[in-house]
Amino acid sequence: MRYKTQKIAYWFFAACMLLFTLQIIYGFIMGFARMGYDGLHEIIPFNTARAVHTNLLVVWMLSGFMGAAYYIIPEESERELWMPKLAVIQLVSLLLVGVTAVIGYHFNYWEGRKFLEIPRELDYLVVINVLTFLLVIFMTIWKGKRKTTTAMVLFFGLLAAALLYLPGMITFKNIVFDSFFRWWVVHLWVEGVWELIMGAMLSFLLIKLTGIDREVIEKWLYVIVGFTFLSGILGTGHHYYYTGAPGYWLMVGGVFSALEPLAFLGMAMYALSMAKKGGRKHPNRIALMWTLGCAVMSFVGAGFLGFAHTLPGVNIWTHGTLVTAMHGHLAFWGAYAMIILAMISYVLPEMTGRSLYKSWMAEWAFWTTNIGMIGMTGAFGVMGIAQVYMERKAGMDFLEVQESLEVHAVGLVLAACLMTAGVILFIRNFIAYGLPVDPTETGGSSGAAGSAAGAFASSKKS
Amino acid sequence: MLTKSAAKAFFLGGTALCAVAFLLLTLDTLAELPKRSHVEDMTDQVVRGHVIWNKNNCMGCHTLMGEGAYYAPELTKVVERRGEPWMDTFLQDPEAFYPGRRKMIKYDIFDNEAVGAEVAAGNRADVIAFFKWVGNIDTNGFPAKPDLVPVGVASNVDPRIMARAPVYFQTVCAGCHSVGGKGGNVGPSLDGVSARFDADYLRKWVSDPQAVKPGTTMPTLGLKGENLDEIVEYLGSL
Repeated sequence: MRYKTQKIAYWFFAACMLLFTLQIIYGFIMGFARMGYDGLHEIIPFNTARAVHTNLLVVWMLSGFMGAAYYIIPEESERELWMPKLAVIQLVSLLLVGVTAVIGYHFNYWEGRKFLEIPRELDYLVVINVLTFLLVIFMTIWKGKRKTTTAMVLFFGLLAAALLYLPGMITFKNIVFDSFFRWWVVHLWVEGVWELIMGAMLSFLLIKLTGIDREVIEKWLYVIVGFTFLSGILGTGHHYYYTGAPGYWLMVGGVFSALEPLAFLGMAMYALSMAKKGGRKHPNRIALMWTLGCAVMSFVGAGFLGFAHTLPGVNIWTHGTLVTAMHGHLAFWGAYAMIILAMISYVLPEMTGRSLYKSWMAEWAFWTTNIGMIGMTGAFGVMGIAQVYMERKAGMDFLEVQESLEVHAVGLVLAACLMTAGVILFIRNFIAYGLPVDPTETGGSSGAAGSAAGAFASSKKS
Repeated sequence: MLTKSAAKAFFLGGTALCAVAFLLLTLDTLAELPKRSHVEDMTDQVVRGHVIWNKNNCMGCHTLMGEGAYYAPELTKVVERRGEPWMDTFLQDPEAFYPGRRKMIKYDIFDNEAVGAEVAAGNRADVIAFFKWVGNIDTNGFPAKPDLVPVGVASNVDPRIMARAPVYFQTVCAGCHSVGGKGGNVGPSLDGVSARFDADYLRKWVSDPQAVKPGTTMPTLGLKGENLDEIVEYLGSL
């Protein structure tokens, strides 16, 4: 870490840890309900738990992206953040809006629009908040010494994410229109511009961790995000198959979303080959594990499992079943949760000056969370496929089918326990690092990590 | 060898091309959606039903046109599947229909006692109208009809017994009870029920189950007059 104001990122990441924990708790409430234990039904019915679970996910990921941007942009632009006080205000207000929304969900204060449940009044506050964030980032880049590709891709990803939030705020009386534009936000975020943000974070981490020339990494970054948009924009069509839109979306959505795995495959191959070519070993191996793990798991979760049910002939049966939950869990984990955890693993030693690279907790956190997530995905997959055959193909009664799936929900909850154990280790390790300290004159934080990273940087120059 | 500027051109060019294609398709879709959703049938009642759907985050459990949360049934064709009388009765007290099983929230807006019979009936009619309208949207064939259903019919099943039942029985009672092998299995089968109970008992039982057997899970349906006569007469014929 070279700039004092980069420290702000720490608090965004701390917020991630807090919100992630809450998200998991609400996940358990739903897991138990699926097992048949819905004792909290009167206080936290399923739709409340579900809205809280998905919205906390979005908020902690936005918080993670913002933290990453506050860390990356000063380093790329080679200057301190512009008006760092705004960044602090922005974090506090983001948390206030997020927490208000989540509390509101317990009192029927929401909109029944999947993933966009935040009530309209709070939407405006979100917009103001994100504009503030973008202003700080933009001014920092504008006044900075250099404008790197990584910084620009990150900025435009964030800007596009903000702009694409707006179609979700238009009110329609007709649910078919409402659904059409809801996917502009949800799909074009997660299978479009969020991948720009993810790609930029990946490229920043690879530059730092492998020592490979920036020009090479950034060239491939363009290729990857090029493939993302080539497949992802028209791939939105896979949400328009059966929601009232014309039949040509079956063709358009089918063809282009079948290409989506290529973008993720490209990303995985790119990250793995860069790491292999890199040769030099940055001491922070755990951050590299998360980075490469992210590239691989996003291909498996978002690419492969997405493809598994994206073709119209398959989707006519799987649409609206737990098969979607199977894909959704591993996709979000692999693509976005892991890139943020990779970023956190990289910045903690840089910020705090402590080198806990060899901590057993960090390594166990990586493996247990991933094995747990794969187990959960398997359980959702079994439940989803069984549901498709029993309910959709054989026409059995919905409740009867759900009751016969309860035994698999036990597997789901057990896998979730393993995953949670990993998250606890990760957070324990996060706390063990302590608070961030100011960078020293020579660059890099004081202490072992700073000097180790410094040595790495200087060895790269020679 | 690919240069960085060529990679950048690929990214910008590809994105621009796809974005333009997407916007053109969107324009066409927006022109088609009113026809495909039969916007002319979208009465004020349908809109009010949509507001109720939205305000209570029903898609936080159910799915509609396959969108939602997979915890509760898919509702696109619910009116076709269940019929209006069943839905109207079910919404008043969802738990009564599936005692001890997965729960639906009991909404006051549908409850005669909580908001008054007239308001509650109006709210129920609104959501039913909304579902009826949704059921007519052109969804490109979703949900598909089950295609693994056995073609043959077991010998002890006689669909004619159900076919001659009053509409109320076919939609509401059959949600839980079966006759001639058709209907639900929450409550006991009603085949041969007239041999077990006489008409007076059946009349008392149907009009107020709690008075006959306190604590029973059979819901009080509020059947009166001709409707009640019709049901009792039908039960007497089984």
